[in-house]
Amino acid sequence: MANIRKVAQLAGVSVATVSRVLNHPERVSDRTREKVISVMKEMDFSPNALARGLTLKRTNTISLIIPDIQNPLYTEIARGVESIAHRNGNNLLLCNTEKDVEKEKSYVRMLIEKKIDGVILAYTGLQDEDFQEIMRKKINLLLCGMNTANKKISSVYSDFRNGAALAVRHLIDIGYRRIACITGSDRYIENREKVKGFIETMTGAGLEVYPHYLIHGDDDINSGFMCALKLQKLTPGPEAVFVCNDLMAIGAINGLQKAGLKVPGDIGVVGYDNIVMGSFIEPKLTTISWPVYKMGIIAARILLDEINAKPGEIQTQNILLEPKLKIRKSCGNIERVSEIFN
Amino acid sequence: MDLSTDFMGLHLKNPLILSSGPLSSSGEMMLKALNAGVGAVVTETILNEIRPNVRPRLVKRGEGLQNIWLYTELTLEDWKREIGIVKDAGGTLIANILAYTPSEMAFLAKKVAGFGADAIELGISSPHGEGLEIIASHSDEIYELVKSVVDSVDIPVMVKLSPNVTNLTRVAQAAWKAGAQGISAINTVRSILGVDLESREPLLPTYGGYSGDPIRPIGLAAVATIKQSVDLPVSGIGGISSYEHLLEYIMLGAHTCQLQTALMLRGYSIIPEILSGLCSWLESHSYHRIEEVRGTALSKLKAFEEIIHEPKIARLTSPCPLEQCRMCVISCLYEAISKTDEGRIRIDPAKCNGCGLCMSVCPEHCFEMFLSED
Repeated sequence: MANIRKVAQLAGVSVATVSRVLNHPERVSDRTREKVISVMKEMDFSPNALARGLTLKRTNTISLIIPDIQNPLYTEIARGVESIAHRNGNNLLLCNTEKDVEKEKSYVRMLIEKKIDGVILAYTGLQDEDFQEIMRKKINLLLCGMNTANKKISSVYSDFRNGAALAVRHLIDIGYRRIACITGSDRYIENREKVKGFIETMTGAGLEVYPHYLIHGDDDINSGFMCALKLQKLTPGPEAVFVCNDLMAIGAINGLQKAGLKVPGDIGVVGYDNIVMGSFIEPKLTTISWPVYKMGIIAARILLDEINAKPGEIQTQNILLEPKLKIRKSCGNIERVSEIFN
Repeated sequence: MDLSTDFMGLHLKNPLILSSGPLSSSGEMMLKALNAGVGAVVTETILNEIRPNVRPRLVKRGEGLQNIWLYTELTLEDWKREIGIVKDAGGTLIANILAYTPSEMAFLAKKVAGFGADAIELGISSPHGEGLEIIASHSDEIYELVKSVVDSVDIPVMVKLSPNVTNLTRVAQAAWKAGAQGISAINTVRSILGVDLESREPLLPTYGGYSGDPIRPIGLAAVATIKQSVDLPVSGIGGISSYEHLLEYIMLGAHTCQLQTALMLRGYSIIPEILSGLCSWLESHSYHRIEEVRGTALSKLKAFEEIIHEPKIARLTSPCPLEQCRMCVISCLYEAISKTDEGRIRIDPAKCNGCGLCMSVCPEHCFEMFLSED
């Protein structure tokens, strides 16, 4: 029966090199790696994952827990995490909580039982006591989203208040003064931060924030559409609207157009997230982009580094990824050069 | 001849460095430059995420090159091996990295330092693919980015600056105050290389970075400005394809020089040509070490009010040997130069205003300036 020693002998390399091909392929030259892999194929050798796991005390599996699998943002995070996990010989277990904290807790219990190597919680509803429970079980933990709860946990996060400020300042710079806001569900800190950013920027510019100009949506296309119908009935109507995510912004543009308003001729619209759909609608959506895919990539890199680190070597890292204004057509911006560069 | 150079604590066998760009996109590529003789290499810009490059992305016109090339197409994980290839061969490697926040920059810096990089160059001045204002325009942002990296790694950190800023001194000082151990300049210059008249299209579909011979004067001015602003070693970049160019940068204060466009257009053989030309020039001028020429021209840069107003005018040093040539006559702004039917040059001292253009226009170097009697 084929084993690692026979593979090494036939490939003319050491057992340690074969082991590196299996565990750290990036450390082996292309030529050696290809040679070892071809010998493995020839001998029909595949490493015994269970045995390897026992030796290394690893399952080589990490998990990503996301709130909503239908939201393209979270699938982008998953794409980033998966690419790095796979590149480093790890499996990814994806869990969808449907924004339900109890479901999230049950997933965490299941992962602890499976002795998962590490968990990434994206925009989690869990609290610090839940984090501590995971860490007591010696499972590495990392957060996507602002980490206010526990200084020992690394995180990758973005600044939503600043992102909202960029969007609203853009509207003000173009010349809009009566600006409304379609908010997302206030259960989420990122949505609350965006509203804070909206209000701060408006008041900072000496502009009035009318309470009836704050229209509460629920993060999806439908609610954006419904909010737009409420918006267009207001008198005086707003000249522009900051919508707290692109899905709602797309729904809102649709609603405004259905009501006979021209975007951006009668009302400017700026979204948040820079999802792919935004550049395919008419008018193309001006929005705030934040590097979601990169967030997944960095999260997975830090988690895997922490899994591979010796005890005491881990240094908590909190990585901020800045949002950027992505100027397109939905706000009536006429400076083409800023569209090219920003 | 001793060409060895100490740069940010790195001991290099000579001051010539392969700059960040397409020719440093892998370990194997960088080895080519090292084998041709450079003292160190800088990697292509390494990021957390890959941004695929468009095709085509390079265009040449005259001696200048425009690129709309973005960054590396290798993952951060791949770079562990690529850096290892250079280090295993005994090369000195500077990792060029790009991130947009201090925490992300520190993360990348720690990674490449862990892969074995000898130093870090912050690639924060690309004229394309980023904002209308390049990242290295804002001194407070530069300060934060540099500080976070310097605090995170034990290897030297330099910052690559661009001439596409209003105040180069201010950004260089921000890098210095934050603890940078060196500065490299210049990055490519934002450009549109030309328009195809028949198709009415720009030669490349977006703004790009201009490199090659034509940007050398901009690079020289930037290096001098930085040297006169901060007490840091500078790596001069821009339009270096001969030993004379390298010497110009060194005489204006550069410790090292980086090149890439000339290698792309003329091949690796120019590396030994530059180095042997440099040795010969230093020997023929009785220098023993390259350090002895460093900054010799920088100290002669003056402010306008320090330049003495001398009543100089042009005169001929030798008769013009080119019967048909009228370049001096055409270019004389004061109509002081004329040429007789027999081909003799006449200069009217009453009309000559001493601008000096004739001296550099004349292909035979027939003119000089002298102090007029009046």
